[in-house]
Amino acid sequence: MTDNASIFQRLHPKVYFERFVSANVRPDGRHFDAWRDVSANVGSVSTADGSALIRLGETTIVCGVKAEIAEPELDRPGEGFLVPNLDLPAICSPKFKPGPPTEEAQVLSDRLNEALIASDIVSLSSLCIHPGKAVWVLYVDATCINYNGNAFDAALMAMVAALKNTQLPKATFDEEYGQAICSRKTKVPLQITRTPISMSFGIFDSARIIADPTSFEEPLLDTNVSVVVDEQGDLISVTQLGLSSSGPVDTLTHCIAAAKKRRSDLEKQSFI
Amino acid sequence: LRELSIGYEGLDRVDGSARFGFGWSFTGSAAALSSISGPIEVRLAAENPSQATFEVLLRPLSNVPGTESKALASTIRNLLTPSIILTQNPRTLVQLVVQALIPAEKFYSPLVASIINASTLALMNAGSIPMRGIVCAVSVGRFRSNIMPTSSLILDPSDDELSSLQGIGCFAFLFGTGQTGGSEVVWSNWQSSISFSEEELIKARDLARGGAEKVWIGMKQSVGRVG
Repeated sequence: MTDNASIFQRLHPKVYFERFVSANVRPDGRHFDAWRDVSANVGSVSTADGSALIRLGETTIVCGVKAEIAEPELDRPGEGFLVPNLDLPAICSPKFKPGPPTEEAQVLSDRLNEALIASDIVSLSSLCIHPGKAVWVLYVDATCINYNGNAFDAALMAMVAALKNTQLPKATFDEEYGQAICSRKTKVPLQITRTPISMSFGIFDSARIIADPTSFEEPLLDTNVSVVVDEQGDLISVTQLGLSSSGPVDTLTHCIAAAKKRRSDLEKQSFI
Repeated sequence: LRELSIGYEGLDRVDGSARFGFGWSFTGSAAALSSISGPIEVRLAAENPSQATFEVLLRPLSNVPGTESKALASTIRNLLTPSIILTQNPRTLVQLVVQALIPAEKFYSPLVASIINASTLALMNAGSIPMRGIVCAVSVGRFRSNIMPTSSLILDPSDDELSSLQGIGCFAFLFGTGQTGGSEVVWSNWQSSISFSEEELIKARDLARGGAEKVWIGMKQSVGRVG
């Protein structure tokens, strides 16, 4: 039997949330700048060259990396390809219907691509086997199996962890046959230059900055801020969409400081 | 800031349209054409009983619109929504269609800034959608030369300057709300291939705010020139 509180939550989500906010707490009991716990399971998919499963609270993302050999582009003969993609299928949340990828999935895939390219996590020239003839293509496919908000942070973490776990077979180019030959025995781990992790925030009612929003809080927040930080604590990208908060502290300053602190807390984890 | 080129196209089948470009001619500069139709009939699936539905469609000059167009269209919808009063016309549709006018394999910052400015001008040209303010956008680049030890910020980088930049971002500001007529940031997107500090981001934002004010003044002057 559902109790009155959950009925009220369904009918008036904004008022329900406001009541919690005025008591300085969120519906799941967290403080405004508290993050959910992260757990990871790396290397469990044996058919992929690298894999990771990340759980950010209840948001669960599985990511696999598959490598393929292809011809490089004509104007970039010494660079390989990194192709990230995030899928939000109907299994992860009732708000996604079966069918082609929703706009949200496409937007997140594009943002993840931007974040990985901007951070230069894997040097594309290190993926070159033979210039102009053979390069590695890394397909980084992430699938959400349970959606409870903040899929962007979880997906980026999963992709980074999967790339760190990736081992490519040693490849040589045979001039005589004009083909790349892969060794069955020797595997080389992927060279990772930086590990970007993103921290996302939302602004509620132009005043409260909420870190790591859940799927209930997300539609109520009118502004989103994402800060991508690498392992040195350096900023890679900062994005703010929507009006700033009207409080005394500058929104971006507050979010950047919180993101840097969170990044150094995450450093202790072994998978990133 | 390059010279702004603003034109009100007068497209036939839509309610309002405008062209905006950074640079004195529409070719060879970051330029975009946008049109607004609204409030018009909305599909039943997209109908919202308390406010108008705002839809943005973005097309690059060549190729079919892909994931990047979808993502940027979603961003533009989110950043223009604070400037228009949607609750005035519930159960209707406000449709913005933007066409990039220069061939670019990627939507880079000056083009994105042109797209946002053209959209705002089209909204003003239509006049049928109540607005709360004007959104003006401008791009800022981070440039490190071999001579100077520290990196410097440049406003509205031109095409030949783009290749020597290490960081670029676009900032959009909402003018018109607030007592002093100041501007509030509605979108900022800053990324750099080498690390940057927070002070630099704040400086870039302030530089962009000044640039956006000039864009705003340019827009006001263009309205004065129209018939």
